[in-house]
Amino acid sequence: MAEVRLVDVEKRYGGFLALPKQSLTIEEGEFLVLLGPSGCGKTTTMRMIAGLEEITSGDILIGGERVNDKPPKDRDIAMVFQNYGLYPHMTVQQNIAYPLKLRGVDRKAREARVRETAEKVELGALLHRRPSELSGGQRQRVALARAIVRTPKIFLMDEPLSNLDAKLRVSMRAELKHLHHELGVTTVYVTHDQMEAMTLASRVAVMREGRIVQLDTPKKIYSEPADLFVAGFIGSPSMNLVEGHITGGRFEAPGVSIPVAAAERGDVVLGIRPEDLELTTAEAPPIRGKLYALELTGEATLVTLREGATSICARGPAEFEAEIDAACALAPRPGARIHLFDKTTGQRIAA
Amino acid sequence: MKRILLWWAERALLVLVSVIVLFPIAWMFLTAFKSPRDAYSLSLNFTPTFNNFVTVFSHPWNLGDMVLNSVVVASVTVLIAVPCASLAAYSFSRFRVRGRKFLFFLVLSTQFIPAVVIVLPFFLMFRQLGLLDTRIALIIVNLAIVTPFVIWMIKGYIDAIPTDSEEAAMIDGASRLRVIWDIVLPVAAPGILTSAIFCFILTWNEFLFSLILTRRDAVTLPVGLVNFRTERGDLWELMSAAGVMITVPIFIMALLIQKHFTRGMTAGAVK
Ligand SMILES: Nc1ncnc2c1ncn2[C@@H]1O[C@H](COP(=O)(O)OP(=O)(O)OP(=O)(O)O)[C@@H](O)[C@H]1O
Ligand SMILES: [Mg+2]
Repeated sequence: MAEVRLVDVEKRYGGFLALPKQSLTIEEGEFLVLLGPSGCGKTTTMRMIAGLEEITSGDILIGGERVNDKPPKDRDIAMVFQNYGLYPHMTVQQNIAYPLKLRGVDRKAREARVRETAEKVELGALLHRRPSELSGGQRQRVALARAIVRTPKIFLMDEPLSNLDAKLRVSMRAELKHLHHELGVTTVYVTHDQMEAMTLASRVAVMREGRIVQLDTPKKIYSEPADLFVAGFIGSPSMNLVEGHITGGRFEAPGVSIPVAAAERGDVVLGIRPEDLELTTAEAPPIRGKLYALELTGEATLVTLREGATSICARGPAEFEAEIDAACALAPRPGARIHLFDKTTGQRIAA
Repeated sequence: MKRILLWWAERALLVLVSVIVLFPIAWMFLTAFKSPRDAYSLSLNFTPTFNNFVTVFSHPWNLGDMVLNSVVVASVTVLIAVPCASLAAYSFSRFRVRGRKFLFFLVLSTQFIPAVVIVLPFFLMFRQLGLLDTRIALIIVNLAIVTPFVIWMIKGYIDAIPTDSEEAAMIDGASRLRVIWDIVLPVAAPGILTSAIFCFILTWNEFLFSLILTRRDAVTLPVGLVNFRTERGDLWELMSAAGVMITVPIFIMALLIQKHFTRGMTAGAVK
């Protein structure tokens, strides 16, 4: 257990600036999720913490101690690699046991611990296989087991569940959540799965082109995105973003006229989540348009309207049915959150 | 139609090449089992005999000493060259040091120098050191010839191993040497073994330096063959028997290499 601090850390690959100078503090016992599009620097951040990648400038502190020049083996970290990094010549059993072996845990204790861990990731029956004889998801679970077989100061997990089927993913997620609760080890976790991010994280860092654009609790990230990028990136289906202007206390755009509490101005983007909209039959509805698509997701139907360049999606009841191109109307639900962003800077406009 | 023709042409060519390559070797094997009387006859109808092998191992030929010299020189060369070359190859493959490429080029460039150019300096050096006609001299020379080549070969194998497993091992708590011992060596083992056998064959067959640097005590098998050209003429049946002694170990090793050559160990390391 330890706090991790990145102070003014910058990373360049030759001339390419992968991570611009920035600082980040990961609290002791925190579960930090890194979220961001492919190539934004999540893996690079982890590799720097692990000591696999030299930092171009700045300092990394683990538990208050500067570790810039410490080799990975002395940082007391366990990591799940995005591409597993299994030992091809060892069996599953030997793979998982390796970190314990290096720490001089005796054979008996090692075997017991490996068996216990393998059960957790549902690999108990495959202990004597080689990695080449496993499926992708099974290999990933070996990588996971190898990381959680011991209790390090820090866990680094780079998309550890990405290759599992939906059911296994949910049960592994619960397993990880429980493990974190039990051990309280500081964890940095990369995922593209928003559900994972929301359920596991104590805080989420949303990254874009190497920069952390928002660092906050999952709830805050969801309910108060700092800018257009975060607003569009978090949530599935993603937030509706409509360009328009504010006049006389109303946001106006083709087919849209919603009362907002903001000063008069042009070049505004209004954001509203699909689950904050409902179908309406009111006389003068805030949002009008032609029905463009209907998608049944199981417990709800996603209703997409079009009016000119505006496209808006709402989450309606599962039993909703209508003809494509039929006229439709939407209204914000009572208590719905309406977000406003500056169109040019992308920043959130305080309500 | 054209494809079938091509297929046959290909086979025919392969057979032709094999015959051309293998015929002299086959003839040598036959001659080794002939009596002196039959040695010059082209007939395949002769009574095979082991006498030639008995003769070459007894006085005055004493092929046994040469076999021992060859085995010692080749084995010790391999035992020194391969571990050193493995470490060097790993460093060249993994460490990003300034001037690494140039250094590697320098190491390889030693291979472009013709042996005849450096044999005289070696001769003078060893005379100065009093090492002429010793196995040590041969081992030193062979190391100089073979090591750069083995470095290059093993580097190829190590380059092909993804670094992911090594990084994982370092995080799991292994030092660099431990990583090499636990991960790199086992995974590269088939390649390293192949290189070792290659190294053995090169040393085993080395002729020029042995010819110049040895006279009586440290003579190796290939040089020993020359002894069978006497003033009484060339003793083909004995030379062939000695030739068989040189060739058989190489054959066995070539077979071993072939088995390992095709086996990849890296499968399953990554996605
Ligand atoms: N060894 C390298 N040399 C040069 N550029 C690199 C290197 N490794 C990564 N990069 C670049 O750094 C950026 C960040 O890469 P990184 O692997 O951290 O992305 P990521 O956020 O993990 O993406 P993904 O979600 O696809 O795994 C990318 O633009 C990538 O091209
Ligand atoms: Mg990545």
